[in-house]
Amino acid sequence: MLEKYKKEYSQSVNQYIIVDFDGIVKESDDIIFKDLVGQNIANVHPFFESVHSALQDIDQTHVFSCIHLTNPKNETIITDIIVKTFDGKQLPMIVILDLTIHYNNYQTTAQVRNESVINSQILELKNNYLQEKEAFKNAFIANFSHELRDPLTGILTFSDILKKTNLNVEQLNYLKVIDSSSNYLKQLIEDILDISKIEAGRLELVINPFNLRELLEDIEKVFKVKAQQKGIELITNFNDNLPAIVGGDTLRLRQVLSNLLENAIKFTEVGTVTFNVSLNQIRAQKANVHFQIKDTGIGMEKDHLEDIFTSFSQINSSQVHNKGAGLGLAISKHLVSLSNSVINVDSTPGEGSTFSTNINFKLDFNYKIKKKKKETVSKPKSDKKYSILLVEDSEITQLSILKILASKGNYFLDIVTRGEDVIPRIENSEFDLVLMDIKLPNSYGDEITKLIRQMPEREHKKVPVIALTARVFKDDLKRYKKAGINDVIKKPFDEEALISKIEEYLK
Amino acid sequence: MKISKKIVLIGHFGVGKSSLIRRFVEDTFSEDYKVTIGVHVLKKEVNLPKTNDDITLVIWDLEGNDDITNTRASYLMGTNGFIYVFDMTRPATYEKLEFDLDYITDRYPKIPLRVIGNKKDLVTNDFIKQNKDVFGRFVDFYTSAKSGKNVEDVFSNLAQALIKDATK
Repeated sequence: MLEKYKKEYSQSVNQYIIVDFDGIVKESDDIIFKDLVGQNIANVHPFFESVHSALQDIDQTHVFSCIHLTNPKNETIITDIIVKTFDGKQLPMIVILDLTIHYNNYQTTAQVRNESVINSQILELKNNYLQEKEAFKNAFIANFSHELRDPLTGILTFSDILKKTNLNVEQLNYLKVIDSSSNYLKQLIEDILDISKIEAGRLELVINPFNLRELLEDIEKVFKVKAQQKGIELITNFNDNLPAIVGGDTLRLRQVLSNLLENAIKFTEVGTVTFNVSLNQIRAQKANVHFQIKDTGIGMEKDHLEDIFTSFSQINSSQVHNKGAGLGLAISKHLVSLSNSVINVDSTPGEGSTFSTNINFKLDFNYKIKKKKKETVSKPKSDKKYSILLVEDSEITQLSILKILASKGNYFLDIVTRGEDVIPRIENSEFDLVLMDIKLPNSYGDEITKLIRQMPEREHKKVPVIALTARVFKDDLKRYKKAGINDVIKKPFDEEALISKIEEYLK
Repeated sequence: MKISKKIVLIGHFGVGKSSLIRRFVEDTFSEDYKVTIGVHVLKKEVNLPKTNDDITLVIWDLEGNDDITNTRASYLMGTNGFIYVFDMTRPATYEKLEFDLDYITDRYPKIPLRVIGNKKDLVTNDFIKQNKDVFGRFVDFYTSAKSGKNVEDVFSNLAQALIKDATK
């Protein structure tokens, strides 16, 4: 019975072929390739042509796995092929094992595996490319903004100087336009730099104790005026139970609240803007404070609510003739996210919008607010003349500082433009203070400061050095401090910023 | 005199070995990627016009392997010429180029070898210049199986070397 079944159902998939040493087929069982006897095996398939020489070998067994052949029906079959030679007298044997089904299954697995590897490699490359592009963009923005600061310092300074001259009403009005445009440009540069810092992951919160209520009242004062100027009302409700002293980033909190209030006033033509601040809860030495800014402005469609937090997006720009690059909300969203919070927005077209957020502040009862430095610093003697060395290659900045200091009447200013001239100049003079640009041709201000700190004479190496720079990332500030730089004046600066910082360091 | 020579194409998977052969033998190209498992063996008669020699190239299209040491020895038996192919768009396929080429030349020191940076249609000349430290040292031809760029030249160049070897 078994033999009968075997005959009926067994189907051999292996072909045995005997060839002579030149490849002529002597015997074959015709399972796959038929009528081979008398043919040269090299003519059956190119595979056999290239293993033809192996037929001359003595007592060898060559196994070739997974060889694709074409059968007489013109179908591809996948085989293992064994070429066996004997003692040089006995004729060689070729065995073809048809393993098409087995290899086809393997083909499917290999296809999936290889495609997945290739796709992940391509994805990684694309990702690297995008990261490089992003890094280039951020570096470009940072450098470009930096380059804008020197001319902007010139505009701000000379606008201040011009204000003190005899101008008629018309000229003063023109000057106001210059002033407001420059300040807008200054804010824009700050915002663009913030965005580039955020995207480069370099923006961090600086947590210090501050008086929350004082900050809120300060903001209230500024925006009450702005609201009045627009003919709308700013209503504030600051709950009495708000903690007085909290730990947080006061600069960034001010920035977020100012952005939201600015936005609310900008898009409200009639009615009110309400600024509510209340305490949610105090837990684990943290106060969770709720901020809400509600306006009766033009509102937004629901579809647009996500877009408003995207850089350079202004939904209602066609309806409202206001300046703005649409960076404020994008920055605010990122700043709030640094506190692990979000900004919620609810809006109805024609009725207004409500922005709200909950922010955690540290509570530490040992918090003491440092008195402002200004108050503790005695002003320099008005009759004394001070000698200041300015290390700066930008002519605009040189001229700006020269004009500001000249207007005060008690400063001598000496200017060098190249880093290598600084040490000889200090050796030959006595300066009360050095104003140091950081990026100079062929040298850096912090490196020059290191050299100053190594000078042999005490009065030389102890001279206060104040950096003039736009590069004020956290890493930069650390580097300046390490180099011995006493303080930093951020470009673009105005007269007040320059003078107050100089006076702080003059005896 | 008619000569038959075995050429083996070797390199990582997905670098375009099968596409190069298809372009050379059939003058066709397909964007669809079908993994080669094992070996496909194809044949093409080539006439070299300079010398008017005829040569039969029996071309072994080996399955791609990211580790050359895993290549089955039986596939390389009796090889007369190697073509090593990598994909210029995927660094993983040429990061170990020097090692792979050393592996071949150490074991087959007298066998002609041509190195190909494929998928030229996807990279710029600037990209090739930027990577000259890698490409410039080793690469004989920059090819595109898609456009056919330099494909014929690779095989003709190798065939010429094989004829030269055969007539020595």
